[in-house]
Amino acid sequence: MKPIATLAGALVLLLVWGGAKIPWEKAMARDQRKATYGFSGPTTVAIREKVGQGLALAALGGFRGLAANALMLQAHGAWEEQQWVRVRSALELATMLQPRVAVFWDTASWHLAWNAAVAAERYSGESSETKRKMEARRWVEAGRDLLERGTKAVPEKALLFQRLGDLYWQRLGDYQEAARCYREALSKGDAPPYLERFVGYALEKAGDKQGALDYFKNLRREMGDAPSQARRPEVVEREITRLEKEAAEKRVRKMK
Amino acid sequence: MTGCLRRISAVAGNTFLEAVRQKVFAVLLVFALVLIGGANYFTEFSFQEQFKFLKDLGYAAISLTGLLVGLLGAAQLIPGEIEKRTILTALCRPLRRWEFVVGKYFGLTAYLALMVVVMALAVWGVLGWKEGQLLRAEGLDPEAAAAIRAEAMDPRLLQAVLLVGAKLAVVAALAVFFSTIATSTTFVMAMTLLVYLIGHLQSVAREQWLEAGEVSRWTVRIFLAVVALLVPDFNLYNLIDEIVAGNVVVWRTTLEVVGYSGVYIGVLLAAAACMFEGRDI
Amino acid sequence: MGWFRGRVLALEGLEMEVQKGEVFGLLGPNGSGKSTAMKMILGLLRPTSGSAEVCGFRAGTISARRQIGFLPENPYFPVFLSGAELVRYYGRLSGLGGAGLEKRVKELLELVRLGGEAGKRPLRTYSKGMLQRAGLAGALVGDPEILMLDEPTAGVDPGGSREIRDLILELKARGKTVIFSSHLLEQVEDVADRVIILHRGKKLREGRLEDLLTRKNEWEVKVQGLPEGDRQELLAWLKKKGGQVVREGAPRERLEDYFLRSLPEETRR
Repeated sequence: MKPIATLAGALVLLLVWGGAKIPWEKAMARDQRKATYGFSGPTTVAIREKVGQGLALAALGGFRGLAANALMLQAHGAWEEQQWVRVRSALELATMLQPRVAVFWDTASWHLAWNAAVAAERYSGESSETKRKMEARRWVEAGRDLLERGTKAVPEKALLFQRLGDLYWQRLGDYQEAARCYREALSKGDAPPYLERFVGYALEKAGDKQGALDYFKNLRREMGDAPSQARRPEVVEREITRLEKEAAEKRVRKMK
Repeated sequence: MTGCLRRISAVAGNTFLEAVRQKVFAVLLVFALVLIGGANYFTEFSFQEQFKFLKDLGYAAISLTGLLVGLLGAAQLIPGEIEKRTILTALCRPLRRWEFVVGKYFGLTAYLALMVVVMALAVWGVLGWKEGQLLRAEGLDPEAAAAIRAEAMDPRLLQAVLLVGAKLAVVAALAVFFSTIATSTTFVMAMTLLVYLIGHLQSVAREQWLEAGEVSRWTVRIFLAVVALLVPDFNLYNLIDEIVAGNVVVWRTTLEVVGYSGVYIGVLLAAAACMFEGRDI
Repeated sequence: MGWFRGRVLALEGLEMEVQKGEVFGLLGPNGSGKSTAMKMILGLLRPTSGSAEVCGFRAGTISARRQIGFLPENPYFPVFLSGAELVRYYGRLSGLGGAGLEKRVKELLELVRLGGEAGKRPLRTYSKGMLQRAGLAGALVGDPEILMLDEPTAGVDPGGSREIRDLILELKARGKTVIFSSHLLEQVEDVADRVIILHRGKKLREGRLEDLLTRKNEWEVKVQGLPEGDRQELLAWLKKKGGQVVREGAPRERLEDYFLRSLPEETRR
């Protein structure tokens, strides 16, 4: 065969395969996106714009995990130096690079809504307490927004819904929302067994004692006659008894 | 038929032996093992994060070492043999050119596979070591212990190793393809690395090209088409990240990517053999 | 493939035929086209025009290559192998295997005097002559009809050269056809039956060495133990008879022979 003929042959072969592979690649990419809930990662353009050159190269060269880890380490370093703005931007980038890593959202929201907020409230050097509180609130809300995004990126796991519930409860005092988040977490199947009682506690904290009682009763019924010990039926029963007693006392007070 | 297999296996065996007896590769392997071992150093993080760091670093070490070995090895394969003129003593025999190319590829891939297995075992060992360390630290809380065990001995790691191996096998096939047209080892390494990097952007080019409306300049369209048609989509292997993140990746998806790699390798080798057929030595 | 590169016509109008069982020498200075001719016969290079045939097969085909054992010029072998591994590798490349191959490897290493321990050492410890002999064993492993040796003695010391020459003659005795090239003409003299002389890609001369080198109008005697007086008488007589004395005096030995003769007996082989 003449060199030119072999060259042409090789090129034709590659192009024919190229034409055949494109629909296949498209289908596989679509499948993968579906399996990863549409979060196969940010576009390359977004990465190039926001991440430094070295990290972008790593991310684009197939080492996205390493780049994200480096950002998490950066955030950790900035946290030790109490550089909250840097903490936040590193966390935002890390979660943007690898939105499907649930622990990143978890750590990131903890840094913002707890560490940064507490620092802003207690150690910021600002004299006005109102301003300090407002600043702290802003950090908490940043943490909440981050977690909201996280729950959309990893919607199949209980973890981030549970953390969002914790945040509403412990940082914002919104117990109704906390209860809603816990319920959402419980629908995922991989929630820890103790979480099912937290919905009731949150409802009670929100002032909805009847709702809490109904919830616990319902929960106990659902456990059936031979509940697993991990679900702690005795605790649920104790809560039912307590809430019923309180309700009875309340009725008595009303009658008086 | 047996003669053909014998000749291919002779070339493959010789290539494998050459790689094994090269000190550079042994040094690279040691470097990778040190890297994998040294990944134990972040201890201030949650155990999930620690495991993620370990796994990411482990796969990166495997990929990077494999990439270097694949590049250096494949560049040595044909241009190196031409430079050293050892190729003459092989190709003058009753051996078909394609048998030589295929044998070279299999020899290199066998070596890559060996390295991947050794490094994967090292990653597995480090994960086990970390597991023990964390279990001692966390005490006896059974729930935490179970979670740590699940992270450390995740059977999905096998899928990840398979994907890393498949990706490296495609890179090696690319290098073999370029080595059949190249006269210098640098050309092979540069081209392979270039395609490797572009491969991670191929999906972007592909989508831009298919959605015709977005790009109007025909020069750009042709460039996008060439990238989409000729370059493999290396983003398909990003499933590894999903596995490291602890999310579910079904075997069917993994095997489909492996199958894609297999077909791609076949096409590249066929094209390489075709190019090599017409080449004067 | 010569994309974007200038081409040089390496060989032009070469016509040659080698008979079965003869030792054929390709002579010429460096760059005269000897290697190119051999590579074309093997199909490593493609002629722009013309053709060659090996034992009835088109040159470059697998069947044609099966008939040829080739030892390239200054070959660099995979030096990480041992001598035995090298011959085994080449045997497997020729499609051999199993116990038959093992037996053949052993025989060939004996033949080229690399049997025993020498065959187990890595090639990077070999001398040039040993390498060349190992290469020869490798060329022979497929039991080819024809041996093609490109500059087999280049860079090899006189002892090694002699060994290779002896091997060529031994192979001829076994009925093999040997084609070899050299730019050292005196080496060719001892072994070649027929030669072709190339220069800048063109054929200058071709023929049997006897025919090419014998000066038919000259006559030579070598005499020992003749007294000086008788010598003068003999010269005068020759002159009287009309003969012209071209060269006269004590014959000089070739340095190579002298060198080999001065070595102790046991190292000569």
